[in-house]
Amino acid sequence: MQHYLLTILVLLPVVGALAVGLYGLAPARRDASYRWIAFLVSTATFLFSLLLLRGDGAAGQFHFAQDVNWIGAIGARYHVGVDGISLWLVLLTTLLVPVSILSSWRAVEKRTLAFYASLLVLEGAMIGVFVSLDLLLFYLFFEASLVPMFLLIGVWGGERRIYAAVKFFIYTAVGSLLMLVGIIALYFIYAAQAGGGSGTFDYVQLVEAMRSGALRLSPSPAQYWLFVAFGLAFAIKVPLFPFHTWLPDAHTEAPTAGSVILAGVLLKMGTYGFMRFNFALFPDAARAFAPYIVVLAVIGIIYGALVAMVQPDVKRLVAYSSVSHMGFVMLGLFSFTEQGMQGALYQMLNHGVSTGALFLIVGMIYERRHTRMIADFGGLSKPMPWFATVFVIASLSSIGLPLLNGFVGEFLIMLGTWTSPFQFARWMNPRVVTMFAATGVIWAAVYMLWMLQRVLFGRLRSKANAQLSDLSWRELGLLLPLLALMLYMGVYPRPFLSRSRESVLSVRARVLPETRGDFAEEIKK
Amino acid sequence: MNFVLALQTLAAPTPDVNLTLVAPETIVSLAGVVVMLVDAFTRRANRPWLTGTVSLAGLAAAAAFCLWAWGSTAAGQQFAFHDMIVLDRMRLSFTLVFVVVAALTVFVSMIWVEWERLPAGEFHALLLFATAGMMLMASGDDLVIIFLGIELLSIATYVMAGFRRTDLRSNESSMKYFILGSFSSAFLLYGIALTYGGTVTEAGGAGTTNISEIAVRVGDAARLPYLPLLYAGAAMMLVGFGFKIATAPFHVWTPDVYEGAPTPVTAFMAAGPKAAGFAGFMRVFLFAFPYIAVAGVSAQLHAAWVNALLALAILTMTVGNLAALVQTNVKRLLAYSSIAHAGYALVGFIAAGATPDSAERADAVAAVVFYLLAYAVMNLGAFAVVTVIARSGDRRTEIEDYAGIGFRAPALSLALSLFLLSLLGVPLTAGFIGKVLVFRAALAQGSQGSRYVWLVVVGVVNTAISAYYYLRLVVAMFFRERTTQWAAPRVPASVAVALVLTILGTLYLGIFPGRVIDSLRAPRAVVSRLNK
Repeated sequence: MQHYLLTILVLLPVVGALAVGLYGLAPARRDASYRWIAFLVSTATFLFSLLLLRGDGAAGQFHFAQDVNWIGAIGARYHVGVDGISLWLVLLTTLLVPVSILSSWRAVEKRTLAFYASLLVLEGAMIGVFVSLDLLLFYLFFEASLVPMFLLIGVWGGERRIYAAVKFFIYTAVGSLLMLVGIIALYFIYAAQAGGGSGTFDYVQLVEAMRSGALRLSPSPAQYWLFVAFGLAFAIKVPLFPFHTWLPDAHTEAPTAGSVILAGVLLKMGTYGFMRFNFALFPDAARAFAPYIVVLAVIGIIYGALVAMVQPDVKRLVAYSSVSHMGFVMLGLFSFTEQGMQGALYQMLNHGVSTGALFLIVGMIYERRHTRMIADFGGLSKPMPWFATVFVIASLSSIGLPLLNGFVGEFLIMLGTWTSPFQFARWMNPRVVTMFAATGVIWAAVYMLWMLQRVLFGRLRSKANAQLSDLSWRELGLLLPLLALMLYMGVYPRPFLSRSRESVLSVRARVLPETRGDFAEEIKK
Repeated sequence: MNFVLALQTLAAPTPDVNLTLVAPETIVSLAGVVVMLVDAFTRRANRPWLTGTVSLAGLAAAAAFCLWAWGSTAAGQQFAFHDMIVLDRMRLSFTLVFVVVAALTVFVSMIWVEWERLPAGEFHALLLFATAGMMLMASGDDLVIIFLGIELLSIATYVMAGFRRTDLRSNESSMKYFILGSFSSAFLLYGIALTYGGTVTEAGGAGTTNISEIAVRVGDAARLPYLPLLYAGAAMMLVGFGFKIATAPFHVWTPDVYEGAPTPVTAFMAAGPKAAGFAGFMRVFLFAFPYIAVAGVSAQLHAAWVNALLALAILTMTVGNLAALVQTNVKRLLAYSSIAHAGYALVGFIAAGATPDSAERADAVAAVVFYLLAYAVMNLGAFAVVTVIARSGDRRTEIEDYAGIGFRAPALSLALSLFLLSLLGVPLTAGFIGKVLVFRAALAQGSQGSRYVWLVVVGVVNTAISAYYYLRLVVAMFFRERTTQWAAPRVPASVAVALVLTILGTLYLGIFPGRVIDSLRAPRAVVSRLNK
């Protein structure tokens, strides 16, 4: 059974981009229409993507699969499908794109055609990343998403945009190229061991061959090399400390829509990649590397938070908070417990929603004042009460206040890490790790609340600030879905977690095949 | 009666003539002659498009022949002219690459010939003769034929490089190319002579320049009394071909020659002669000194050239990319990029040389051909844009000249960006599939030694380095603002045709390369189709 829904989701935005381009050739074109086309197309994509919630197979399996020949000569196939993990990331993507288009309504004035076309192409590529089940196809989308983002930063970005754009591109390209070598190497290893001479890039086939024992990557060092080749690409994307240096520049210089997409979706490609590929394909290596990655994740949590604290620029502060939050996600993934991994997936969504909202809010104030320096503000809650309200809610969600989404994710991650059955190393107890990581939440409260205090409260010090207008209906409207999600995901996470549970468990069973038992037994061990 | 017949045969051996096997070369050479006649007997105003049309018609006929003969190569090699000419899949696919290069060059050069008021007929005739030379390099099964092809190609190209007679840079380019080209030809010729000496047999049989025959004698190396000569000969030929395809450290002439030559000629030189060099190089080394399983002198000879190429490939990729980083002139930048690309293509060549399996070798050869085809398409496209932006006299070729033109001439800039991204190897473009194919071919040899894996790692690290300088142009075009006056140049129809063809080619080879790869490798694909 071939499903076309995912292909439609990938192609619809691309077709939309072409439509924007063709409309640009029309003699009676109006610049204002580009954003309408882009908005309608991305909204349609979002509505289509909601169909994915219906599902069409057993939990834990890939739904809406389409598998056709692509380049037969080298064994690459066009194989797409979603499971409980990618489903949510696709929905996050399709939600954030129309939101970021709305946010650019007034902010982007020059070269609007190219802007909206790039944004739509980017959406297609991002959806492609999350639905690809063929490694070469995955690589293709992974790389293809770089180009439009590079343009978004470089053309519509801030002052140091060229530096930031080139740094972003080169960092991510370097990482992913080694992954390409890994992908091809895996193809030949499969050919030699399981394929009878013909290899495959197909994820499902590879995992199946490993599960049945036909393909054995251990105990040869090949598995470690492959883990590194894939892991480096994803670690840069996440970004895991110390590969994070591209992030503050790229996030800060990008236009608001670019920052929202970068933080909301592009970073998730890294953590998604770890979960989907590194865990399922190289489980032994994942266990072996876990202690080191966990240490880096905890360093990232604390380091990101501490650096965020001293930032004078609100946007840079939010950018560094991403490093900290993504550290939590990595920690949860490498705890190898159900809670930790589910929490990590949940935290990916949370981070997309709350950091996305924060970048939108920063963009709104920048549009009005053309500065993002904390020192330039103060007392904004008086002229802009609505603005202050949403800013506070989004920040609290980012901190992880109970009843908001961030709490659920971080709590699950820490619970998972605390009860992790896996002794990372003799010198590193999971509980010690959790305690260190938990300080990240406190630091988050410190830097966020301190920033809120300096920006929103206190005395109005400058005249320019007193005259700022509050949020418009459009701005409120585009933030509303995100705020609603924060609340909903904070109060009632079950619909999300129950759908992803089987898929997460099957990934976990790959990493820890010997612990199929339930949670209570694991604690006893 | 029989005796008489035998005597007659001895006295006048039937010449082993098979004109169909040299049809593409013949057609293209004849077209060149016709172009010269047309040039002589028509009015000046009509000449450019008339000679251009004749050239295209000749190239189309040659291409048609290749496609017609395509199926017959599935069975294996065919020989003619006493084994001097060979017909196989490798030759036909290379011939098609040359036709593509020559045809695109005709389109690109149309406008330039007009701008510069140059004699179009002479240019087209030279181009066709050069193409015939390239074809001979691919079709020769004898070192002498390959050498003749090289000379035919080189002499035509020397003239083309200096075609803008009044321009000092063009003269310098031509002169340098001539001197270094002759130098490398001498190396090659000396290598051929030494190989001939080295293949003299113990029994006193004369040496040979026939490639199949060399392979036979090398396989039985114990009977060759002057074996060291063979080593020296192979080494000399390696150097000679290394010059022709511009591998480091024999690349030093490339940037100067490419920068000084008229832009359309540079486009041609970077794509055509380089591919032809690969055709000859691969024919000689893959077929004359093939993989030998049994340990011995011959196996050593094979290992020696494969390892030498490995070192050359690593050096070429690295030198090309690092030097390209600091260039400020677009033509020089593309010249260094072409050096780097020769290095990537060498990766596939090394894989073809290293593999003991004939099917894998065919795959690796197909990978190299695909790479060179992809490179020809994207590189000619890039140079087409450079030609238009440089305008008459090649005046605007600095990266500074590209600042901020992105939104003033969106079509040209987007096209150039596409080609640059393809040269960089971003997915969905021809360059990506080309890189995947050659890297894949080398990784398939991973079981023979980790050095092939490291070769690929060096290749991808170099790709990452190259991102910087390809992006520099994109950055200049789209991210920077122009401070000086600049009006978008008019894109003439012929260049527009070339651009449309190269853009479609780049995307087609990048998104749906399956058919092309299958037919380049056909023998096995045909077998599997029969099995179904």
